[in-house]
Amino acid sequence: MSSNQSQQTRLPFIRIAFRPMISSLLRQKYAMAMLVLQIALTLAVISNGLFIVSQRLEILQRESGIDEPHTFVLTSSGFTENFNPQTSMQTDLAELRQMPNIINAVATYSFPYSGSSDWDDLQTVAGSDQNTVPAASYKLDEHGIEALGLSLIAGENFSPSEVLWQTESNKTFPNVVIITSNVARNLFSTLDLASVIGKTIFINAAHSTVVKGIVNQLQAPWDPVGQIENSIIYPRVVTRNSSRYLIRTKPLMLQSTIADVEQYLEMSNQQRMIRKVQSIETIKKQIYGPDIAAITILLVVVSALTIIAAMGIAGIASFNVIKRHKQIGIRRALGANKMDILSQFFTENIIQTSCGVFIGCILAVALNIFLVAQYGLPKLPSSYILIAVLCVYVLGILATLKPALRAMNISPAEATKSQ
Amino acid sequence: MFDYYLKLSLKNIYRQKNLSLLIATTLGLGIAACMITYSLIHLMSKDPLPNKSQRVYHVQLDNWKLNFSAIPPDLPPEEVTWRDAMNIVHAKQAKFQAAHAITWGMVTPEDKNVPPFLGVIRATQGEFFPMFEVPFLYGQGWQNYPANHVEYVTILSKSTNQRVFGGVNSVGQTLPMLGQLFTVVGVLDEWHPSPKYFDMSFGAFYQPEDLYVPLQIKLELELPHGGHTNCWESDIGDEYQAFLNSECVNFNLWIELASGQSKQQFDNFLQAYVEQQKSLGRFPKVTNNILMDIKQWLIHKEVVSSDMYLFFYLALLFLLVCLFNAASLMSTKFAAKNNEIALRRALGATQQAIFSQCLTETIILGCLGALIGLVLCMLGLEGIKYLYPNFSTFISLDMPLLLITVGMSILSSIFAGLIPSIKVCMLAPAVYLK
Repeated sequence: MSSNQSQQTRLPFIRIAFRPMISSLLRQKYAMAMLVLQIALTLAVISNGLFIVSQRLEILQRESGIDEPHTFVLTSSGFTENFNPQTSMQTDLAELRQMPNIINAVATYSFPYSGSSDWDDLQTVAGSDQNTVPAASYKLDEHGIEALGLSLIAGENFSPSEVLWQTESNKTFPNVVIITSNVARNLFSTLDLASVIGKTIFINAAHSTVVKGIVNQLQAPWDPVGQIENSIIYPRVVTRNSSRYLIRTKPLMLQSTIADVEQYLEMSNQQRMIRKVQSIETIKKQIYGPDIAAITILLVVVSALTIIAAMGIAGIASFNVIKRHKQIGIRRALGANKMDILSQFFTENIIQTSCGVFIGCILAVALNIFLVAQYGLPKLPSSYILIAVLCVYVLGILATLKPALRAMNISPAEATKSQ
Repeated sequence: MFDYYLKLSLKNIYRQKNLSLLIATTLGLGIAACMITYSLIHLMSKDPLPNKSQRVYHVQLDNWKLNFSAIPPDLPPEEVTWRDAMNIVHAKQAKFQAAHAITWGMVTPEDKNVPPFLGVIRATQGEFFPMFEVPFLYGQGWQNYPANHVEYVTILSKSTNQRVFGGVNSVGQTLPMLGQLFTVVGVLDEWHPSPKYFDMSFGAFYQPEDLYVPLQIKLELELPHGGHTNCWESDIGDEYQAFLNSECVNFNLWIELASGQSKQQFDNFLQAYVEQQKSLGRFPKVTNNILMDIKQWLIHKEVVSSDMYLFFYLALLFLLVCLFNAASLMSTKFAAKNNEIALRRALGATQQAIFSQCLTETIILGCLGALIGLVLCMLGLEGIKYLYPNFSTFISLDMPLLLITVGMSILSSIFAGLIPSIKVCMLAPAVYLK
């Protein structure tokens, strides 16, 4: 008897009676079929949903190259006839750059997430039939690199004398430019960025200019061509009645500086007004609004689905516990221990889940094939299916836990009660 | 008889409160998910000009450089040049035609209590207003002025009129802006077409502009080029006029055909026009004119983003899961009543009577599900408003949506409860009576 006991504890699995279990599952065909289909669909939706969420998160976490958390922008619009855009801009910037909490400030119409800029075609050889590399253009003075918080990895910054102050219609091209490392690699097909410094490039097939510096990263303000890492900086300041300043503050000083700057600029010159004061992070949130919305909606759907599926599994298991009350009592009276009862319910659950997983994997792939064909989504990596399979098994076991524990505690005396 | 079923069903539902609530909530959740995502698609794809959207066309011409394309893979630009806009509009080949562009400038009201502001302005030819059925509160629009005719007139949006003139009828008053004195000839009523099909460069659900001025004013005052500007020539010169003479595109061109007029007729005119321009050395590419009516244009511009359809399909799958769930729960619910039903059968109730009673119970659960679904739907739409702030003004639960929700819920409860009901009325009473 004692040796028998030890064998039981070593191999509890051997005591699980699969045959009666399967036949009892088959007896409630309809409820089981519904449950298996639920699990299968849940698996398909969870795997695809989480995959799409992870892709959107990747977009959100993409670096823009600028010091996003400590930067804000504002617009200064002159409205009187004797408003002089250039002197106003020069006075403002000189004053802003002296403020203790400001690292640097620059006038620019474009910045990452601003949503508008010109795109120019760059090439290494003159002539109209050459291969070109598109790049979004930034127009900044010598303070631009520091104000945006860019890292110059080769060459030098502009010198003040190289900066051209221009009105909108004046389109003289500067002699030097700074490009991003991605543009340098695309143009010259080299990894040795230092060798690119001093080389001549041609803009829109017509204007020749020399590469003076290379910044590691600066994303384009908008991306109509799928080349978001391609940007070029011209040493130009364009003056308009309405100008935009980008201001970078010291860490933790953003909010207080925004208030100070707004107040100062409004008082210093009554011939203009200050509008559209926004931090880069606010603008980023607006730009990525649809992606944030998609992530939220998908997560809500996935979690609601998980809860529904769990309730379904728990519901059927509870019903079975009630229905088999007497049977369980009899099994207990005939010598089955508590673990046997518990393992009976868990094994039943695992059999159900496994059927669901089998169909679910096929559905997940089918759903993905549909989404790829219809909306050009990428292929679902098998790791996401694996994660979803794991989730479904854990979900099943958690949902069965409470009913199974209740079944485990049914007393053998129940067997003697008549129904 | 129905009264009896109803009473019995309500009693059953009350006795199995928790299970019934679970079934109704499950149905409600599934329905709400579907309706929220469906309403997004439904609201975003609304026809903004229902009376004549199939007669109003967006015009595209391919004036691009040889071997290059304005929009990949090989589409013409979505805007036209100043020259083409002028030539086509003044040829008057359709009922209405108007070219327009977005611009901006300072508005400096005479009333010193009204602070000056930067107005977003649409410079447009006059047939814009009747073509797009723009509603006027006071006054009216202008005609398509002949080329080079300059009138300093303006039309205000309702909110601009409120801001500058306190909402009174300001027709005939003067308004200094852009450094000139303009006369107000009209004030618009509330107007926010969704989507803003006639120019979506700022987004499909963006506010219409604050002010409207004749298109010629843009040239006269050299106003900035707003919206999309696209050029392929490398050097066009510095002058403002040079931009207008160039192949740069910036002007949205729309036409409305008369109700009997065929699209083919206008197509032929455009074809002939491009041929004529080719002989002047323009349009180096193969002729590729595109006329899209509003519906085609909205589909082409993907106003309803693929995300919305994705959400909808996932919500449908979610509803399916809810249905399977409700079905298995209902099967459980009825199975728990097996003894009682067996007794009723033994006492003479027909299978049909049992079935009708189960179906009544199912439908009541469906109604309960619809109620929960509607509440969840409203909550969900509030959430959607928060997630899509640009679109939030258009989000509401309209009557058709409401009816669809209730209908869908009852239908799905029947779908979920049908097989369990059939199973229950098929059962042999003898086994349960022992």
